[in-house]
Amino acid sequence: MSARVLLTRLASAIPLLLGISLLLFLVVHLAPGGPLDVYADNPSVTPAALERLSAAYGLDQPLPVQYGLWLKAMLTGDWGFSIRTGRPVLTELVERLGPTLQLGAAAMAVALVASLALGTLAAARAGSWIDRVVDAATLSGLSMPAFWLALVLQYLFSVRLGWLPSAGMETIGETSFVDSLAHLVMPATVLAIVTTAGWTRYIRAGMIDVLSRDYIRTAYAKGLSEREVLVRHALRNAIVPAISIIALDLASLISGAVITEAVFAWPGIGSLFVQSMDGRDYPVLMGVLMMGSAAVILANIVGDLLQAALDPRLRNG
Amino acid sequence: MSDPAVWTRRALLAGAGASALAGCGRVRSGRASNTLVVGLTYDLDTLNVYSTGFLGDVEAAVVEGLLAPDEHARYVPVLATEVPTLENGGIVRDGAGMTITYKLRPDVLWHDGHPFTSADVAFTWRAVKNPAFIAESKDGTEEIVAIETPDPLTVICRYAAVSPTFATTLFTFGILPQHLLEGVDLNTASYNERPIGTGPFMVTAFKRGQYVLTERFPGYWRHDASGRRLPYLDKLIFKIIPNSNTLLTQIRSGELDLVTQTPYDQAKQMRGLAGVEMMRAPLLSWQHLDFNFRNPMLADRQVRLAIAHAIDRAPLVRAQGDFPVPIKSPVVPVFDFYDPDLPPIAYDPDKARALLDAAGYVGKGVRRRAGKPLRFRFLAQAGKGNDELAQQVIIAQLKAIGIDAYADNKTGVSYRQARYTGQYDINYATWVTGADPIYSRFYATKGSNNGQGYSNRLLDRVLVQMEGTLDPAERRRAAFAMQKILLHDLPSVPLTSNVAVVTKRSALVGFTPNPTNMTPFVGSAFWRWSA
Repeated sequence: MSARVLLTRLASAIPLLLGISLLLFLVVHLAPGGPLDVYADNPSVTPAALERLSAAYGLDQPLPVQYGLWLKAMLTGDWGFSIRTGRPVLTELVERLGPTLQLGAAAMAVALVASLALGTLAAARAGSWIDRVVDAATLSGLSMPAFWLALVLQYLFSVRLGWLPSAGMETIGETSFVDSLAHLVMPATVLAIVTTAGWTRYIRAGMIDVLSRDYIRTAYAKGLSEREVLVRHALRNAIVPAISIIALDLASLISGAVITEAVFAWPGIGSLFVQSMDGRDYPVLMGVLMMGSAAVILANIVGDLLQAALDPRLRNG
Repeated sequence: MSDPAVWTRRALLAGAGASALAGCGRVRSGRASNTLVVGLTYDLDTLNVYSTGFLGDVEAAVVEGLLAPDEHARYVPVLATEVPTLENGGIVRDGAGMTITYKLRPDVLWHDGHPFTSADVAFTWRAVKNPAFIAESKDGTEEIVAIETPDPLTVICRYAAVSPTFATTLFTFGILPQHLLEGVDLNTASYNERPIGTGPFMVTAFKRGQYVLTERFPGYWRHDASGRRLPYLDKLIFKIIPNSNTLLTQIRSGELDLVTQTPYDQAKQMRGLAGVEMMRAPLLSWQHLDFNFRNPMLADRQVRLAIAHAIDRAPLVRAQGDFPVPIKSPVVPVFDFYDPDLPPIAYDPDKARALLDAAGYVGKGVRRRAGKPLRFRFLAQAGKGNDELAQQVIIAQLKAIGIDAYADNKTGVSYRQARYTGQYDINYATWVTGADPIYSRFYATKGSNNGQGYSNRLLDRVLVQMEGTLDPAERRRAAFAMQKILLHDLPSVPLTSNVAVVTKRSALVGFTPNPTNMTPFVGSAFWRWSA
């Protein structure tokens, strides 16, 4: 991909993000409930007080005006303030990004290693019992809802065996690397299992396709070992079609694994999303959603770049 | 506490050398170190008790007021030496108004060691009243016209009118430290993250989305009967666990010791866990069905009475997990004002049908009178699951007697507007009150929350009597009269009251539930682990 193509791709992301923002703004604001619902049953908060609050947050304006004000602020780098906490949206996002990146990176690393190994192995032994076991395992991984898997792991390792803490990011007052690792194991495993299952199947399919090509036969004929053929010749080509899927999954890992974070009380972007959704904290909600959208678009571009780097035929596209 | 993000090579090696995982031992509860770990089912917005839209669980353990409501919603002294009354001279009638004098407890210290004085009380009034401060509620600030502090331990509050409910908000919520907050913008103050109080526990860490760590305040003023300085616990940790399944897991695994508001959907599963006990405690909230008197059909008492007889509370309770309790009065039974002899309105659909027949509403399916169907616009708060569920149950019950009620639910500000301005025929809703509710808000002709257009001059007089006197016996008599009038007029049908389901380790003793918005943590100084 040339620099010009890359710039064009990046520039075309701007109208895309604008369109997404309009759609998200409408969906978020038209959903039932509002940030002032927390006062609905409290007779001490009078209608006049509520009107004051509503005006202070601009909630009394028509939707198009609210959108215009939000967009204008966003374009000048002002992400607004959380209605729930009164803190800047950017502060809230940055604070939660660290834990999410930590969780996402751990899950991603495990998933990448596991799916490359399993996908390659299953393809190399296509039709054998190993392939059938990998097939069954990945199918189970894909079918298992993340929250269910999380609950099973929590029950097993926290309630029954007492080996791992069931939630949170650290044992309060006892923080150490080992303690952080112990808290990370289960949420990262849940994310990794679900992700590995999908990636493995893509890599296996790509490998089977590549392994039937003439150049592979040639490589074997030259007397190269199976390991050399698989890793050096086949994998590089097999991974290309899977990259765009992997790139999109990376974006979702980074933009917040909503369910996993909520179940494990992991204080990342996913938890922030759930909390701001519950409280209809519009500025934070829009901040999280826009960040997620930007991550998906960016991951897509990065995916294309990676594909082009691995496959010279795609470089002029 | 070290930051987990700062991982050094040394820490890595030390960790690897120590054990494979922290889990080599069983995940412990906090009990070994005289710590109590509490599960909060909601995320915290701020720790400033005057700004938060949530219950002040953490705040109640950290910040103290002059008074506090006990488990019977009766006020007891905290930073004041006694609850001001007419009898003890703390309240004096002063023309049309009154003067309340608080005598403050001596030798009370703020968490930073600064002495607590009357100046802090006067400052709290000024700070909360300040229009620049966006407070959740400024109740109680406007009634006071002046505060004098003749000496460090005396506060004299002058009121323009008699205000028997003076204790319900302002100085009960908590006192703010003048020496730290004078001239500071309370909307953005660091106090909101790390409040300084006079309470038994000090906030030592607040990690948003994760936890609040509080530690025993060694200079706390209160002692137990044997002279031992309170609190008994060394640490009180509040963990934020909004997911109810995880909450249950943490109780089971021993990582949590106490949940004061167990979600209804998890409460049944927590029964029978070894070493865990459950308590149901009343809450000062009640669900009710309100009628709009501007609708001529509902202005007819026979129709309202028919609706009241058509409602079976048992399915309403079942629909909400068997936790709310049926009630017969808008005064929930925890109050002294509750009239226990008030007769209930029995579920009797046959009687309801007979009443509608007598009122001239007849016919199969939807009843009609002079061709006009008995059809009502039924308001509830959209998106509030339990309310919408209860609404559907009531719609079915009304259908059974020939009334067509159709849901017209609204959200947010539009819901509040509809509720307060009477843009509905029937309204299913909840009121949540402090320990001394002001009923005139709801039922007086000019009540600020009376969106029903309901008016009864006799009731207005009774309410003035109830809220214009400082004599508890007279207030109680007026409250009984109010309940009888409401039972006759039926502007509102009281349906259910909520309960707090407390899940706690059996070994935790000294715990007392609290039905008010001050939460049970107001008594946390007395909690301890049994030997």
